This record gives sequence, C-alpha cells and structure tokens, in this order.
Amino acid sequence: MRKEIVKATTAGVLATLLLGALVLIGSRRLQNFDAALVAYTFATVFAVFGVVYRYAMWIQRPPTAVYFRRGWQVFLNPKWLGRNTIELSKRLVSGFALNAFIWRRGKARWGAHWLIMWGCLIAAAITFPLVFGWIHFEAPLNEFDKYTIFVFGFPTITLPVDSFLAFMIFHGLIWSSFLVIAGVMLAFRRRMRDHGAAALQQFGEDILPLLLLFAISITGLAIWASYKFMGGYAFTFLSVTHAATVIFTLLWLPFGKFFHIFQRPAQLGVAFYKDVGESMPPAKCARCGEGYAPQMQVDDLIEVQRRLGYTYEMESESGADHYQRICPRCRRSMLALAQGSLWYQAREHESVV
Amino acid sequence: MPVPEHHEFFIDPNRCIGCQACVQACAECDTHKGHPMIHLEYIERSESTQTVPVICMHCDSPTCAEVCPADAIKKTPDGVVQSARKPRCIACNNCVYACPFGVPKMQTDFDLMMKCNMCYDRTSVGKKPMCATVCPSEALFFGTREEVEARRTRSRPVNEFKFGRQTITTKVNMMVPKASTHEHVDVTSQMQGEGRRLRLNVLSDSLYEPGSA
Amino acid sequence: MANQPQTELKIIEHYGPRLSNMAGPALDPGVEPDKLVKTHCCFCGQQCGIQLKVKDDRVIGFEPWEDFPFNKGMLCPKGVKRYLQGGHPDRLLNALGRDPQAPGGFAPAPYEDSIKRTAEAIDRIQREHGADAFAVLTGASLTTEKAYLMGKFARVCLRTANIDYNGRLCMVSAAAGNKKAFGIDRAANPWSDIPKAEVVWVSGANIAECAPITTSYIWQARENGAKIIMVDPRITPAARTCDLFLPVKPGRDIALFNGVLNRMIARDWLDHEFIERWTVGFDKVAEHVSQWSIERTAEVTGIAPKAIEKAAELWGTARTSFLMHARGIEHHSHGVQNVLGAINMVLASGRIGREGCGYATITGQGNGQGGREHGQKCDQLPGARDIDNPEHREYIAGVWDVRPEEIPGKGVDAYEIIRKIHKGEIKGLLSICFNPMVSLPDNNFVREALEKLDFYVAIDFFLNETARHADVVLPGSLHEEDEGVVAQIEGRVIKINKAVDCPGDATQDWRIIQDIAAALGRTHGMTFAGPREMFEELRIASKGGVADYSGMTWEKIERQYGVFWPCPSEDEHGNPVDHKGTLRLFEPGSWNPIARGAGPFYFPDGKARFNIAPYTPPMEEVDEEYPIILTTGRVVSQFLSGTQTRRIGPLVRQYPEPRIEMHPRLAERLGIKEGDWATAESRRGSCTLRAQVVETIRPDTVFIPYHWAGRKSANQLTVSAQDPISKIPEYKVCAVNVRKADRPPDDAASDAALHNLDQIATQPDGSTSAVFQRS
Repeated sequence: MRKEIVKATTAGVLATLLLGALVLIGSRRLQNFDAALVAYTFATVFAVFGVVYRYAMWIQRPPTAVYFRRGWQVFLNPKWLGRNTIELSKRLVSGFALNAFIWRRGKARWGAHWLIMWGCLIAAAITFPLVFGWIHFEAPLNEFDKYTIFVFGFPTITLPVDSFLAFMIFHGLIWSSFLVIAGVMLAFRRRMRDHGAAALQQFGEDILPLLLLFAISITGLAIWASYKFMGGYAFTFLSVTHAATVIFTLLWLPFGKFFHIFQRPAQLGVAFYKDVGESMPPAKCARCGEGYAPQMQVDDLIEVQRRLGYTYEMESESGADHYQRICPRCRRSMLALAQGSLWYQAREHESVV
Repeated sequence: MPVPEHHEFFIDPNRCIGCQACVQACAECDTHKGHPMIHLEYIERSESTQTVPVICMHCDSPTCAEVCPADAIKKTPDGVVQSARKPRCIACNNCVYACPFGVPKMQTDFDLMMKCNMCYDRTSVGKKPMCATVCPSEALFFGTREEVEARRTRSRPVNEFKFGRQTITTKVNMMVPKASTHEHVDVTSQMQGEGRRLRLNVLSDSLYEPGSA
Repeated sequence: MANQPQTELKIIEHYGPRLSNMAGPALDPGVEPDKLVKTHCCFCGQQCGIQLKVKDDRVIGFEPWEDFPFNKGMLCPKGVKRYLQGGHPDRLLNALGRDPQAPGGFAPAPYEDSIKRTAEAIDRIQREHGADAFAVLTGASLTTEKAYLMGKFARVCLRTANIDYNGRLCMVSAAAGNKKAFGIDRAANPWSDIPKAEVVWVSGANIAECAPITTSYIWQARENGAKIIMVDPRITPAARTCDLFLPVKPGRDIALFNGVLNRMIARDWLDHEFIERWTVGFDKVAEHVSQWSIERTAEVTGIAPKAIEKAAELWGTARTSFLMHARGIEHHSHGVQNVLGAINMVLASGRIGREGCGYATITGQGNGQGGREHGQKCDQLPGARDIDNPEHREYIAGVWDVRPEEIPGKGVDAYEIIRKIHKGEIKGLLSICFNPMVSLPDNNFVREALEKLDFYVAIDFFLNETARHADVVLPGSLHEEDEGVVAQIEGRVIKINKAVDCPGDATQDWRIIQDIAAALGRTHGMTFAGPREMFEELRIASKGGVADYSGMTWEKIERQYGVFWPCPSEDEHGNPVDHKGTLRLFEPGSWNPIARGAGPFYFPDGKARFNIAPYTPPMEEVDEEYPIILTTGRVVSQFLSGTQTRRIGPLVRQYPEPRIEMHPRLAERLGIKEGDWATAESRRGSCTLRAQVVETIRPDTVFIPYHWAGRKSANQLTVSAQDPISKIPEYKVCAVNVRKADRPPDDAASDAALHNLDQIATQPDGSTSAVFQRS
C-alpha cells in the first residue's frame, strides 16, 4: 500500500473512532441516543471516514501539501499572527458568512448559494447533535409547558413550549428546508437558462447535488406536514424516503460536489500566503526583468513541479535555470517567436531580396 | 456533449495581424460572457507589429491541473481542459504561473481562475469557437485535418512543444513550415528572441539612402 | 450663426461620445434571442455577413453568419462589437433645436415642428439667394436606395446643383482612374481570384486594419505559393511577413509604378498580344516611363534599387497576379495619376479579366460603390450616368417625370461646397451620414465655414461633431433599423435587413427626407412607400447605364448571396434575360452596353486605355520650417469619423486615443521618448498627442490616425489640396514639424477621466488591451 493511503486510512479510522467516542460520551452512554436514528448515525460515521480519508489524500498531493504547510507557516508566524487574526475574522465574514466573492460572480448565483449554504448549515447544526444524542429535550419536573435543552447531557436553557424562541428552535429544520428549496430553485433556474452553464454542467457533479438537497428538504417538510396536518398519513413511507435521501447524501459527501465544503477553507490559507508573498519583492522574469509573481510562490512551484515529475529545468546559459522563472507574458511571446523562427529558417532558402 | 473528435484547432501566429477580433469575440462566448479569455500579445511593439493570439493548448497532461492545490481544473474526456471548477478554485494563481503557455487568467474580482475552454458551449454542439470563427487572418483555424491539409499547402501541424527539458504535447496544433525538419516547437530557444528577425529588417534593408546605390 | 452653442465638455456631457458597454441582456448568457437577422456589418466596404441577435426589439449581440461566402463568419473587432451601438445612451430620440440655454446646447423639439422649420428655412434661403444656395452633403454608408433618394431630392425637390458626398474623401481617385482606363469603375474581380494569383501587389492599403477580412484571401494566396509585395511608408501588420516590402516615401507611388513599368519594358516582361489587341496608348506611356530608371525611381521613392528591381521582376514574370490599392495611393493631389500608373502596370502585364488575374481598389465605406453610382455625386446621375450628357439627362428626366432642363447641372465637390459656404455663396446646408468636422482636411477652416451658415440641418442618430453646429438636428435611423442594398468591395450588391424599429421620435432617413419634401410642398417623385419602391425605380433609372441594376431583385440578391453589378435585365439583342450578375469584369468575349461587343472594356472600341501618368510631388513639400511628412490613416478598432465607434466601450479601450507614430531615429533627434506629449504643427493648425516610438515607420514620416475630433483631430493639420480630376483631398501627405510638448494639453486630465484612460492603462490582467500598453 502506498504511504499516502496508509496515512489517509489511519486519519480516517482515527476520526471515526473519535466520533464514536464523542457519541458515546455526548449521549451519556447512549442513554439519550434515539435508536430510531441509528441508520443516520452509521451513515455519518461512514461519511466521516470518507471525508477525512479524502481530505488526507488531498492535502498530501504535492501542490496541496506545499500550500497546506506554507499556509499554516505564514498564518502562525508571530510576525504576522496579529494581522492575520484580524484578517481572518474579516475574511470569515465576507467570504464565508456573506459569500462576497460569489456576489461578484453573479447575483443570481450568489442568491442560490447563500440560501443553500445557510439552509444546510442550520440543518446540520440541528440534525447532527440530535442524531448523536448530543442534544435532547426534557420537560422540567411538574412543568409540562416548558422544555429544558440538554447538551452533552448537561441542562442549558429552559423555555416555555409556546414561546416564540421555542417555536423557532423546534421548527429550525422547517426554516432551513425553505431556505434550501428557494436556493435550489434559483440554482436550477440559472442552470436551465444559462447557455454557458448548460454546456458545462454534468449530471453527477452539478445536477445530482441539487436534486438530493431538494429531495431531503421536500421529504422533510412532508414528514412535518404529515404529522401536523394529515394525521400521520403515509408517515412511514415519508420517513423511510427521507432517511434514504439523507443517508445517500451523507455517503456521497466525500466524492462529489459537496466535498468543496471541506476544501473551501483552504482559500483562507491561500489568502495569507498571498498577503505574505505580496509584501516581499516579487520574482523578476528571467527574460524581460519585470516582476510577475511572489518569489516564494515561484520557488514553491519549482519544488512542486519537481515532485510531480516535470522537467522544466533549463540549460543555464539560456539565462534561467528553470522555466518557472519566466513570466506568463514572455511565455506567450516566446511561443510566437519560436514558431516565427521556424518560418524564418524555412524562408531563408526562398528569400526574395 | 463532447467536442467532435474530427474538429481540431490549428493556430498559426505567423498569420496574426493583431486586430483583436478574437479578443472582442471571446467576450461574447456564453461560458465566459464579458471576460475575454484569449491573450493577444504585442511581442515588442517598438520594433515590430508582430502579435500573437494565445489560446489554451489543452495539454495532454496539463501542468495547470497538476499544480492546482484544490484539484479544481479538470479535463473532459474529449481532451478539453476546462476553467477551474467554481466551488473549488481558491484563487491561488499556481496555474497562472505554471502554465507553460501562459494561458489561465485570474479574475481577482471574484477569486476565480478562468481560462480558454475552446468555447465549450459552441464546440460541444458542433460549432466553431468564437475566436476561430471571426479571425480574419485564419491565424486561429478550427476545422478538420483534411481542410487544413487542403488549404495550408506550405505548412503542417505539430503538437509537441519543448520548454527546457520538458516536452508537452497538446490537443491544439500549431502550424509550422513543411520545409522545417523540427518535430517540435522549442519555446525556450527564444530566450534571446531569434524569431524577432521575422520583422525581416525590411525597413532599413529596403530604405534608399542617397549614395548607397 | 452656427457656432457650437456651448462648450465641448457641456455638449459631451449630454450628447456624448459616452461609452456603451456589455451590460444587461448583452451580458446575460441566459437570454434566448427572439430572432437572428441575417444582414451585414454597418462599417467598412467589405460588408461582412453577420447575424444580429434581437431580443425585445433591441440588438443584443451577434452570431457569425458562416454561410455568407465573402467572409464565412469572419469579422473584425468593429463587426463583433457593432451591436453595442443599439440602445446607446447617446442615441437621439427627439428632434433637437439649437438653444444655448438648454442643457447641452440643444432643446428637444417636436418632430413635425422641426421638419416645418427646416422646410421654411430651405424655402427662404432658396427664394432669397437662389436654388444653389442650399447644399446637400451625404454619405457613402447610406444604402443605395437612400443614396438614390438623396440625389433625386437634391435635383428634383430642392433643384440644387450642390449635392456631394463623403465618398469624395474616399474612392473618387480610383473611380476617376478606372473610368479613364477601363470606362467603368468597379473592382474588376471577385476576391476569390486573389488566392489564385502568383503575385499579389498591395499599394497603399493597410489591409490588416482597414480591410481585415481581405487578409485571409492574401494569406491563402501565399499558402498557394504566391509572393506578396506590399508598398507602404509603414510596416503594417500584414506587411510584416510579406515577401517584399517597399517602404515608399509618401506621395511617390507613381514614380514606383512608372519605374516598374519601365523595367518591364526593358526586360520585355509584357503581354504584347494583349497590349496590341485590347489596349490603346501603350507607346506613348512607354516613351514617358523611359525616364524612370531604377536609380531615379529609387531616389524619388526612397526605396532601395535592389528592392525595386526585385518587385519588377516578380511582377513582370508572374503568370497570374492581383494588384490592389486603397487610399494610400488615392488620397493625393495626384491620386488619379497614381491609380493610372498602377493600372498601366496591370494592362502591360495583360493579366486582367481572367481567373486569378485581377485588379481592384479596396473600397472604404459600406456602400462605396452603390453610394456613388446612383446619383449623390455632384456630377453623376443614377446608373453611373453623366450629368453633363444630354442623352443621360433625358433618360433620367423621363424616369423622374421632369423636363431634362429642370435637372440642375454639375455641382461642386464636397470641399468646394465648404469653400462656397465660407465665401457666403452657399447659405444653407443639409447633411446626412457625414461628419466633416472630423473627416475633412484643415478642419479649422471647416469650422469657420459652418459658423457662417444661415441655416444648417443635420440628420444623424448621434450628435456628431459637425451636427453640434446645426440649427436643427433630425433623429435618423441606425443601419439595423432600415433595409436596402449596398454594393460591397467586390461589386457584389447585397441586402441590408431591418432588425429593429427606430426608438422614440427617431425615424428612417428616407421618411425624414420625404417629410421635408412634403413640408416644402414639393412632393413630386418624393412619395415612396419604402425602400423597395425606391429600388424598383432605381432599377429602371439604372437600366442601360454602366451600373445597370435592372436585372436585380431583392429576392435574387438574397438567394445568390449577392449579385455582382452590372446585372442587366436584357441581353444584347434586347431580349429579357435572367442575368446572374457579372462576377468578373473584362472577360474575353464579354458584352457591355458601351462597347456593344467590340471588346471587353467599357469604351466604344472595347479597348482599355493606357494613360500617361506623370509624376508630380505632393502639393506641400517639406521644407526647413516643416521638415517632416505627416501621413494619416486608420486603426482597426475605429471607423472613419468615429461617430459610432468612439461610442463603443470595448473598441475605445482597444485603442483609446490617437498617438503620433514616429521612428526612433526621428524621436531621438527631437528628444522625444515613448509616451511623451508631442506637438505636431502644420501651416494650418497644431495637435498635441502622445508619441508612439516604433521602428515600423519611415524615419522621415510621422503617422496620426484621423478618427478623433477636437484637439485630437489629425485633420487640424492636413492640407485641403485636392486632385484636379477627382477632387480627393491630399490626406496622405502634408508638411509638419514635431517637437516635444511643453506640457500636456489642457484637457488631458479631464479627457483621461472621461474615457477611463487611466483605468485602461492599469487593467489587472496586464495582458490584453490597448495597443500601446507596455510599449
């Protein structure tokens, strides 16, 4: 077995074990664990293994490894740590909470993503603790019109059943379904009318995730509607369908588009890497002498390319030891000049003057 | 739908007249509307009117994808290297600096690398890419190998490029003279710019200076 | 008084040029167009086929039209972005009346009132000063139907002799030369002959920038083994890789043609049989050119003798060839002689009228040919008929249902109209499709003239720089808002199709003209229901003339992807025929209405004419005070006076402002570096622009593109010297001095802000944008 696979498998197993332990502890030895949700729990455990395994594989790829290492290095460097922390909070708000970069890509695209993202985050924040038995509700003694919320077995707040806050909390999954459904609708609208998207989208990568989110949300809502308004009509069928969609989604988490949820935070590391790179003198192109990239990144890229097996090394008399030391503009120019020189050589035989 | 196999891209920078029709038309393509992905470069305007249009060459083993830490750059089975997948791209610029042809563009505004994708919305339904459709000099030509062979009697396509010790093969072809014996285009041979001689020194050579006759 | 009612900046604030950009539906990749309209580009003489995307009665983009045989989907940047003129913020949606108090100097006025006011002014001026005191200036970008209507309007409705058009600044030297040599004025060959030629000779044509699609034909010729010879004072983009580049000194082309012909005679590279059988006048020309030794030619033209010899050898020994030229040899005080010199070279070779053997002038404007053949040129009546020829007058009088003596005689050319305004002989002016404040030479003089007008009415869709001097502005139609035919570069008559309706009070130009005629109470012959009716009358009017359109129908034009004129409706015996059009002129055995079978050329004996083409230097030679030659021309992203293209954002960003192009040797002598502000000064005006220092121009010459207005206008410097025959102005040569400017022009900062010039210079991708970035 390859070294990376061993590492990744170990990480996956450790993470799975950790989750198992947390479930045991959090649910007070399964005392608060809802046995009806056991299928969800097992799906989550598999998902955690898959996600961690894949994440570990991913950060071991040469370019990612370099970035991962460098990202932490520059972030934790005491020289920049203060500034980095401030920047981090700013970037968390603009990039993650608000999705500002997606807003600039397109308003409709932003609307879809923002609604889906917040819908999923809220739903996850409710569902996973419930499933793991980390949260449960109990009526305090002799107070049947109140609920106490227990987290990891510890009592937290107590609120009246008919209070607004209770209404909001107990219907949290309903609200998140509405957000997700609205987002999915917007996303589908864009995918159906945008000619560019139509050409590029793939079923597995782009359509299936939307379908899954839609299915989870709509079956979840239907369960609620069934027990609330329809006297439990088709309740079992709906529960099973809902469970099936959720479990499928969980199992699919490491493989498809949803994996970007875990990759995306790397953007923060990159931002710090760029900050630091830009604060230093840039690499100068070996051909034209203009600055074109952070020196650190050029050096890192040479290392990455070497580890990937590329041989962009050059003869030193040409003026550079590695092709990476030449700016993109000169690369484009040289391509034309190289072709031009072939024509020049060919035409020397037929020169008219 | 994939790009039909018999449709190929053939470029011949030697024909380029720098009109930028390709740049203007590139921005009209639905997969990157408003953002031209093609590069039109003046080699050295003070010396020459030589220009070069640079599109993605769609490498068989794309360096941009390999150096991408986010695994965001994918090649579709028809050999087209696509723009970075939007959910994944973390805007690190690795691809921009590493692409041997200098193709990817960083859209700093929205933290996303975009690149020429051969106008996938057009080529995947059997149309030509925008740039190759409008190009008035046919420096950018999209068609079948038979068409090229019939029309370009002095040239032949190659798809092998050398950068230092690295050889890269590409889906896109470049036209070189039939008379040339080279099987590849040696890009790094131009560190000093021998190809600039293509301006032929025509002006100084053919200017009449009294007494020189 | 017709000076500008407010300062330039105030007018620009309200009427532009402002920039339109990709936005809204033009930027939305999800818009499904309501329709795709097959039509043609609104700009140059190539008239590339294009499909306009229409959504909600607005042009929002384009789709290549690959079936159209001339361009097969190819377009230049202007064609790609032409659609951005639709829905433009500067578009005139109302008639305007001059009002110095109103914002921007013009107040919107009801359309009917403005027509009435115009008619009253015309009537008053003509009653007080005579019919000829009201002049009409028109353009060669109008459809042939509109051009026909304008000619008829001037002659029948206004009864003024003074109508002329901006084709006067364009191809008239070629037209005159062609008529003298061939008896007809049309590109002799379809472009499909170019790739079949062994030698392609291009004189004075920046093909890559002014006729970009033609490049593909020339490169195809090269692939097929042809040698390409280019003659130009600048290494243009297409000249960079040509086989032989001859860096001619501006204004000396004729010496080169004569020198080459002399060499051909000396080496006997002649087609004696052709010369003997089908031409007249060779011996006199041979005698004349005998003075043009290689040495003398070299001395005059500034081209190395070796290169001239080589050119003569390539040209002389070729079996097939194509010679083309454009404004570079035509914009001269001896433009017609230049053209005749080129034609002499072609006739001596005998390589014309056959497949792969061709000759053509590259027309500049959309309807360069149709615009002049059908009656808006001061000396022509429809069908390329001569206004002085009694038979021709009688025929057209019959079509127009007037008495021949009612048709005015020959008027004066466009620049002479300006001079007559300046002298006070012409008091009123109607202009359409013409922006002389940018396009005429010595435009300080033009402005003075405009300021003397009693009444000036301009028809346009944007408030162009000349219209700023108008009393009344009538909102006309864009290219995509009307239909009709034009004749493109090859002589192929094609159909322009309507894509959208006019917005607001704007209306089709032909309606405006007929409304004025109605308000004048002179409706005779001015009641067409639309362009189709005009075309039907034009067919009759052109019948039997050299430019015979009588065998064409709109349907045939669309079916055949254009019909090459002439296309008569009857054969030589007077029997009706379904004529396909004339793909190639002068084919052996061909019939035409002048020669009537005597030969292929359009003279009674059927023979082409050699004409002695004597060399004369340009009107303004350099001297100590003005030691540098200025030549002017175009850039690929702008078109003519820029009324449209200076309003399209992506085109402006491609080449944001004119620069003074000069050789490093000259720049060094003048102490000027790349990007410095430099002042070029002539006897008529001065112009301060940034310098572009490049090795691709002769060291004795500077170049400024002319598309810009005001302080950036190259035509502040140019000379109004004209060719005595064609009356074309000498745009290509005048004498200037150039020095480093003491300081930037006063408005440099505000102008940069207005056009986002700073932003352009610092585009984040740092690669593709303006031509002079990073230079």
